[in-house]
Amino acid sequence: MTKHNCIVVNLDKCLGCFGCEVACKMENDVALGEHWNKVLLRGPFGDYPNQVRYPLPAMCQQCADAPCVHVCPTGASYRDPDTNIVLINKEICIGCKYCMMACPYGVRDWNVATKTVEKCTLCGQLTARGELPACVKSCAGGARFYGDLDDPTSDVSVELAKYAATDIHTLPNVGNNPSTKYIMTSIHGEWKESE
Amino acid sequence: MSVQWSLVLFTAIAGTGAWMFACTGIAELKGLGKKTAVPTTIVALILAIAGGFASLSHLSHPERVFGALGHPTSGIFMEAVLLGLIVLCAIIYLILVKRDAAKSARKLFGVLGIILAVVFTFACGMSYEMSSRAVWNTFTLPFAYLGTAMVSGCAGYLLMTGICKDDIASIETAGNETLLGGIVSVLTAFIYGCVSGAAGGSVAALFWIVVIGCGGIAPIVFGKIAGNNTAKATAYGVIALAGALVGAIAFRAIMWMIGTTVINVFGTVL
Repeated sequence: MTKHNCIVVNLDKCLGCFGCEVACKMENDVALGEHWNKVLLRGPFGDYPNQVRYPLPAMCQQCADAPCVHVCPTGASYRDPDTNIVLINKEICIGCKYCMMACPYGVRDWNVATKTVEKCTLCGQLTARGELPACVKSCAGGARFYGDLDDPTSDVSVELAKYAATDIHTLPNVGNNPSTKYIMTSIHGEWKESE
Repeated sequence: MSVQWSLVLFTAIAGTGAWMFACTGIAELKGLGKKTAVPTTIVALILAIAGGFASLSHLSHPERVFGALGHPTSGIFMEAVLLGLIVLCAIIYLILVKRDAAKSARKLFGVLGIILAVVFTFACGMSYEMSSRAVWNTFTLPFAYLGTAMVSGCAGYLLMTGICKDDIASIETAGNETLLGGIVSVLTAFIYGCVSGAAGGSVAALFWIVVIGCGGIAPIVFGKIAGNNTAKATAYGVIALAGALVGAIAFRAIMWMIGTTVINVFGTVL
């Protein structure tokens, strides 16, 4: 059965320590100045003393209708038929950067050395042997989860099930239907990415 | 976003070539431009191929470009196929003219040239319609690509009629085409400028002076003058073409300058 693997980030638990960003770089040998995963510090929003800020770790959002896959002229950007994960075959990437233009979130980066586009692979080299992606494994706050959204027993589904629908967010959807979910309750702050 | 000059020059140059061939097709249908037909088609071919090379220079791995043939739905594939068809049409038309073939056959390829110029220049703009970039994601963008390429091609054809010392009727028609192209360019660019905000934002000066002024008003004025004063068609053609090309290039550059994503997490500048 086809899976629907993705990452869920619980921002109520996120420390903003940048550990996921560092772990990603170490595991995937991402060069200095390049990213597959990056933690943005959002805010402060609002007026003193009612101000809110939160860390926003962001990587490929594994869109259900991925525009990067639609625009790729060679099929280098493709969706893995088994895991539903959007991947890049760097051997046939022509470096047109069309996918980088089409990505609504700017979470694809340019590898200067190979002159091809790269992005988060959900650490396929680790998950293929039953391990978790490096960012999930190393998350100090236990804020990151990996698994199949369609499997109710997976880590992501179990974590999402703990929260109301109003506490579960995605980055702005412009028709691409991002799969990555962010959990943030009103106790912690107010989700501002949809504005 | 930084301006992707290879892509800017690709659509501007190849679009100009496509519309120069289209103007040759119009002249063929009207029985005009006999002296201009062959030289203009050769120039159109050169421009189409030069545009293609400009596009290739954007790629970091051009040696893998034939992989695009396996994905017939992408915008790049559409542009490449349409440009290839224009080149093929122009070569066949050249052979037909050189062999003094039947007029009906020449007219057929003239009509094909017109249709392909419209579709190609429209498709070039359509490739950039993507939901990730709100100011690109409007149907007015491909029309503006079409309009700004049309005026460049018409002005280029006017220049060729002057250089080749074609008959007065041919130059008058070329002048009127340039005037019409200028009107289409002004209208389509203006509508896109209003929809995208380019007409009023930080690039407003560039938009009004270069895109509308040089790229639209100048060809309208000098196309009209050239139609009335055919003896100086070359000089007026040079001014109209220079203005139209600068306008077409500026329009495309502006599109890149204002194109921002929903969120730019990595802060990557293309």
